[in-house]
Amino acid sequence: MDLSIFLQQLVNGTSLGSMYALIAIGYTMVYGVLRLINFAHGDIMMVGAFVTYFVYQTSGSFTLAVLAGILASVLVGVLTDKIAYKPLRDAPKISLLITAIGISFFLENLFNVLFGGVPRAFKAPEMLTKVLHWGSIYLPVTVIIIPIVTVTILIAVLWVLYRTKYGMAIRALAFDIPTVKLMGVNADTIIALVFALGSALAAVGGVFYAVSYPSIDPLMGVIVGLKAFAAAVLGGIGSVTGAVLGGFILGFTEIMVVAVFPELGGYKDAFAFFFLILVLLFRPTGIMGEDLERSRF
Amino acid sequence: MKKLLSIAAAAALIGTFASAKEVKVGVVLPLTGPIAAFGQTSKGGLDIAYEQNHKLKNGDEVKLVVLDDRGDKVEAATAAKRLIDKDGVTVILGEVASGNSMAMAPIAEKNKTPMITHASTNPRVTKGKKYVTRACFIDPFQGAVMAKYALDHGMKTAVVVTDAKQDYSVGLSKAFKKAYTAGGGKVLKTVLINSGDKDFNAQVATIKELHPDIVAFTGYYPEAALLVKQARAMGVNTPFIGADGVGFPELIKIAGKAAEGFMYTDHFNEAAASSPEAKAYVEAFHKKYNKPADSMGALAADAYGMILSAMNQCIDEGKAPTDKECVNDKLRHTKGYKGITGVITINENGDAVKSAVINEVKDGKFVYKTTVNP
Repeated sequence: MDLSIFLQQLVNGTSLGSMYALIAIGYTMVYGVLRLINFAHGDIMMVGAFVTYFVYQTSGSFTLAVLAGILASVLVGVLTDKIAYKPLRDAPKISLLITAIGISFFLENLFNVLFGGVPRAFKAPEMLTKVLHWGSIYLPVTVIIIPIVTVTILIAVLWVLYRTKYGMAIRALAFDIPTVKLMGVNADTIIALVFALGSALAAVGGVFYAVSYPSIDPLMGVIVGLKAFAAAVLGGIGSVTGAVLGGFILGFTEIMVVAVFPELGGYKDAFAFFFLILVLLFRPTGIMGEDLERSRF
Repeated sequence: MKKLLSIAAAAALIGTFASAKEVKVGVVLPLTGPIAAFGQTSKGGLDIAYEQNHKLKNGDEVKLVVLDDRGDKVEAATAAKRLIDKDGVTVILGEVASGNSMAMAPIAEKNKTPMITHASTNPRVTKGKKYVTRACFIDPFQGAVMAKYALDHGMKTAVVVTDAKQDYSVGLSKAFKKAYTAGGGKVLKTVLINSGDKDFNAQVATIKELHPDIVAFTGYYPEAALLVKQARAMGVNTPFIGADGVGFPELIKIAGKAAEGFMYTDHFNEAAASSPEAKAYVEAFHKKYNKPADSMGALAADAYGMILSAMNQCIDEGKAPTDKECVNDKLRHTKGYKGITGVITINENGDAVKSAVINEVKDGKFVYKTTVNP
């Protein structure tokens, strides 16, 4: 592999990794507060991508479409919490987990029935699908935009968590919900806020995913959701910075496996998950995660 | 994360009269999921064939029991079992993907229920099976056609892209490599992908590094579309050749301009339809769907026609059309059946011997190039 090919693969890894990272942030935030692995997260991403697709087709304005996609994802995320998770707040965590899987199936099949399972071609504005050349290296503009967006969002989320009252409430909830309630904080509102934030990020991730790989279908969230979950665990679930780090590591691992061993490319998922197991063997709480009981964002 | 939903859609029964019995034909197709376009187009053709004829010689009414397996092997096997145990079908039509048909075949075999796949091309689908037949050619033939076409056009080096998850792709790659190397071509590397993957930039970089004369893609259209799009975006202009798994409108819709020049082998092209059967089908297809007739639908219609023909032959011999042994025997000994996709004769392995066409994407359309006979 010569240098230019290596650099090209590095670029590819950055693009894939930042997409995983965007989606992993939402996973990790919900987990941090509720200790719930929200398996429907990938499907909320799919909802965002689909709504963006439909609104862009009818209105012709991509900005409007993305806003509508984010709004739809936020609505679905918050509604899911209200309808499915809230009644189970005091139930064993496993019931919550199973409900999350149920919501995931529900969303996938709902979209299957409504829009059919045939992949649709996602059209993005010219501006986002351009490819820049730099010597022999090809840089799709999304490769530059996505990491910038991801890091900006990471900083914004950290700012919300550590510099605002809402952030303080979110972090406090992660420690002890009943005590926070006693302090006069409306826990349900704050949890809804967490879902709204996480879902909005999922929608942004979904849009970028659809722009980069322009074919969307109701099951598109399944694999991405799993990968983002793995990224969150790898980085230390509950830690936002860890989720972003995990996303990048996972993206690079996948790309490099294919780059170095093209014959093994079909097993890149296996490598990614094997890597996850390795990390967990030596650091059971992930890279950034501290003690499971103490790690909060 | 496998969803356990099978949508059972029973075709409506029209105008049965008291004495006529009902003969059930089970259908297993990927109506949703990653390869839903295969299932949907198959169903489209099947519906036309069914509308044209759903009565047997003795007045019995054929009823279709259609199950969706979401393109999943486990679901396909479950569907086959359900059709036999619960619905009591005489014969099963399906699946499209070879891997899924292979999951169903042992169940058909065990229950001595004839099964006919309209589109699974992997040789192992029928190998050693007594109750499995197919209405299409097999991959060694298809792979050889691909290899010959590439070599005839002076493309001497190839990178083969194989979908490691699909038996179809693995088998086809093997067939292509064998014929290509035998013809003097050189396979530089085999690159593996997985169906469901969306990022192929790493594979594209490998292709770029090797710059072969041609990329032989043996997987299905969703990956083909994204791969060729990412390849063109990275400045790789190597021509692509694929097989019957890529010839779907979605290829052009998703890949856009990048799909231009993508060649593939297929079972049917309406531009080459010359027989009265094919013409009648194409006409009915245009009338109903207002778009060009695809090969999956034509194959499904042929498989359905073969089932009807087998049942009618059993009736001629004084046997019931629900006699599984008889129907299977007639299916396996189909000879000179005048189908939409050509004249079909089933050989001793249960495979159809027939011609293939080569198409190419040109100006956003699938254009017929040539027909290759076995």
